[in-house]
Amino acid sequence: MAQNINPHYASSSNPAKQNEDTIKLNDNHAVSKRLQKELMELMRCSDKGISAFPESENLFKWIGTIHGPEDTVYAGHKYKLSLEFPNSYPYAPPVVKFVTPCFHPNVDTCGLICLDILKDKWTALYDIRTVLISIQSLLGEPNTLSPLNQQASYLWPNQPAYKKYLDEFYNKNKDS
Amino acid sequence: MAKKGELEACWSKINYAFPILNGTIFTECTNEEYEDIQEIVINLGIQIKIRDLVIIHIEKYVRQNIVPSFWAKFVKSDVEVKGFQLFKTAINDLYDSVTNFEPMLRKLSLLNSNCSDNMPIFGERDIILGFKQLLRATLLAQIPLEFQYIIYFFYKVSFNVFDNEYENSDMGEDVMCSGCWNDYSDCNCAYIVKVFHDTNRKLMELQLLERLAGQVLTNFIQMRIESHIQKLCTGTFDVSHIAFLENWLDTTVMSWLTRIYCGGSSKPPPDDKNVQNAISKFKQKLSYYLYHSYTKLRIDQLFNIIIEYPDSQPAVDDIKLCLDKTDLRPTLCKNLQTALETRLLHPGVNTSEILTAYVSTIRTLRHLDPSGVILETVTKPVRNYLRNREDTVRSVVSSLTEDGVGSELAEELAKFAADGEDDLEKEDLWDEWNPDPVDADPKANSSDRKASDIISMLVNVYGSKELFVNEYRTLLADRLLGQTVINTEKEITYLELLKLRFGESQLHFCEVMLKDVYDSKRINALIHQDNSFGDSHIMCNGMILSAQFWPPFKDESLELPDVIKQLLERYTKCFEALKGNRTLNWIPHLGNVNIEIEIGQKKLDLTVSPFNATLIMHFQDKPEWSLEELHQVMKVPITILRRKITYWQSMGLISEKSADYYVLVDGNDANRSNVATSQVQEMICEDEESESVMASAHDQREGELQVFWSYIVGMLTNLDSLPLDRIHQMLKMFASQAPGTECSIQELRQFLDTKVRTHQLVLQGSMYKLPKT
Repeated sequence: MAQNINPHYASSSNPAKQNEDTIKLNDNHAVSKRLQKELMELMRCSDKGISAFPESENLFKWIGTIHGPEDTVYAGHKYKLSLEFPNSYPYAPPVVKFVTPCFHPNVDTCGLICLDILKDKWTALYDIRTVLISIQSLLGEPNTLSPLNQQASYLWPNQPAYKKYLDEFYNKNKDS
Repeated sequence: MAKKGELEACWSKINYAFPILNGTIFTECTNEEYEDIQEIVINLGIQIKIRDLVIIHIEKYVRQNIVPSFWAKFVKSDVEVKGFQLFKTAINDLYDSVTNFEPMLRKLSLLNSNCSDNMPIFGERDIILGFKQLLRATLLAQIPLEFQYIIYFFYKVSFNVFDNEYENSDMGEDVMCSGCWNDYSDCNCAYIVKVFHDTNRKLMELQLLERLAGQVLTNFIQMRIESHIQKLCTGTFDVSHIAFLENWLDTTVMSWLTRIYCGGSSKPPPDDKNVQNAISKFKQKLSYYLYHSYTKLRIDQLFNIIIEYPDSQPAVDDIKLCLDKTDLRPTLCKNLQTALETRLLHPGVNTSEILTAYVSTIRTLRHLDPSGVILETVTKPVRNYLRNREDTVRSVVSSLTEDGVGSELAEELAKFAADGEDDLEKEDLWDEWNPDPVDADPKANSSDRKASDIISMLVNVYGSKELFVNEYRTLLADRLLGQTVINTEKEITYLELLKLRFGESQLHFCEVMLKDVYDSKRINALIHQDNSFGDSHIMCNGMILSAQFWPPFKDESLELPDVIKQLLERYTKCFEALKGNRTLNWIPHLGNVNIEIEIGQKKLDLTVSPFNATLIMHFQDKPEWSLEELHQVMKVPITILRRKITYWQSMGLISEKSADYYVLVDGNDANRSNVATSQVQEMICEDEESESVMASAHDQREGELQVFWSYIVGMLTNLDSLPLDRIHQMLKMFASQAPGTECSIQELRQFLDTKVRTHQLVLQGSMYKLPKT
């Protein structure tokens, strides 16, 4: 038995399954490599207003930061997100959630985001950077037709009122 | 049975024959009389008893009379000649009293021959030898503390005379005889020599020479050897002294010794094995001492010898020869190391000097010890020290490519190219193999020690070629940009030589750089032919660099005058026409400008930096400028402007009218001040040139750390605050593919601290944070 196989996988008795697992493990390595590369790219470009970094030694769990886009009601706000990458990344989308509570038509109270590219429109061509940029632009251009947060959706057309409520909400929750 | 009266008569007869029984030596007893007396003794059968009795009395006499009176003469004295006399008298008296014993000893011998017990007398069969043995034993048993003083004086005086006799070279007009320090009129050298030989002969006969005078003699000769070596060998390293010294020992010192041992004759008696043995033993001792002291002296001078190498090669040869004969290897290592440390490895010495000395050391020690063990031990602190100096690499590289006399490294480089093929032949010398010396480090490979040549030893100070190649690139860039006329051929020669050493791939960048220079010439020529470039009263030659391959430049801003900008734009257009899909990105602050200044009656022809040219061109349009205005048009920080403008001030063209307000000096004034400032000007010009346009290694490192900075910002944006070791750990995990990734935690702390100082980072407790915006 090869020694460089995780004992967790190696303990499996089914040879066919083991084989499958080994492939997965190799993929795992490829995913790490891809994420490492994405990190380097992200650090090199350093786009304004978006940023992400692995949370700890685990490369599959990141923390992202998005600044609210200028000229929108979200300007001046800063939102933390958590990104979790499945082993099948980039063939499956990462799970992205707001950590800082966000009052937004397409974000629910748990921070879950309704965004097509994170669901059925995901392709392997997207990466962390594009995901973050998409979320950033979603802040300014919500899809009010399929809201997760009804209240926000109703309030959205009235921008000054929305802004007032949003600021209160943000200041109340930003440190939680 | 004999009667009592007869016995008494017999006793008095015995007393007559052996007066020692009554405490005296002298007797008128003749041989015939003695024979009769002996007859009586033998008849009485008491010969053994009588013999023993006599010996006991002799012993007592020697102990109580002769020896104390001998030692009584050994008084400590400050006057050399008095010491000389005292010793002479002592020996003479001793010799005389021994001689006085002789008749009695002869009688005793006869008596002894009639004793059948074969008892050894003081370990000897023979009475006379036994007596001498007794005398020596008794003498040495009573030896006083300070007996060596007068012996020392005795030999000092005599050696002086002796020296004088054989080396009377520069007597000059001395009225004093340099032998005995008397006036020539009553020089008693001859007397001294006579007494000296006499005394020695007597000592020899008593077999006391080595016991009494041996130590003094050895000390004395060693001192002479030492002072002779000192006199002979200070300051000069270009002559081998060892043969000369051996010769000196053989002739002067040994002949003197022989004379001492042989009582004046210069040749040892061919039949006396004892004397010959003694002399040859003495000689062995002295030659060892000679080698020892010579080597010691040379070891003390070794640092100077190294500095003067290869002129000092004879001295090194001497040391090499002597090291085999003495046990001074460890001393050599230790002393040389200390000398290097105290004389070389301190902040007052220039790096280039340390390097020269290091190269010399390598060469010298290679010659001295081909195994390379001494070299390895001794130069370790030098290598460690060089590693800590910032400009080591630069110095090595610049001396590698320096031409002219004295640049040993350049020679070494050329030599390497010349005899790079020798390695194969060396393999065949297996039968000349020698084991490593005992002090070699068993862990190191001996062939490594031998094989590495000087340049690789220098390169190995850092352990990587890369640093050197990078530094060479920077140096080359500086040189290519600094010179107005570029001698590409020479640079190519060096590059080829370096390629042999460091490998083709390492120096690929430099090759491209040289090609850039060469291509630029061609492109310039083509552009000047191009009609669309148009005629201009300003000549312009571009230097087209492939940015990818050149080291990063120092970032400086400079806004050129409009005329020049237009000219450069036209040049760019022509270039674009010439090379499709390419354009030029000008670096305005690099290059040279030839300007001709006419002011009043004065005409100046100068080659200056674009900076200075721009500065003076602005004064062409308007004679008065404030620093602020200049800053506006040139886009150069005021502090730099203030510094640069001093060049024109020193030329006497611009003067500071009031604080930060400059005016052009008109021609007549300029004439006056010109003379006084011409010297200043030279100084400043030089100063300008020595400045490198390249970003220094330090700056480059800063750039590499900048890569880390974006990672650090990334992690702190998302993770709020982190302690130093976490940042370091994260960098190691996630930024390891970035260039220049080796970053110690200390270096990181320093880097972060500079960021804290520039308010790009906040340190709270032990956590680093980004400042709130």
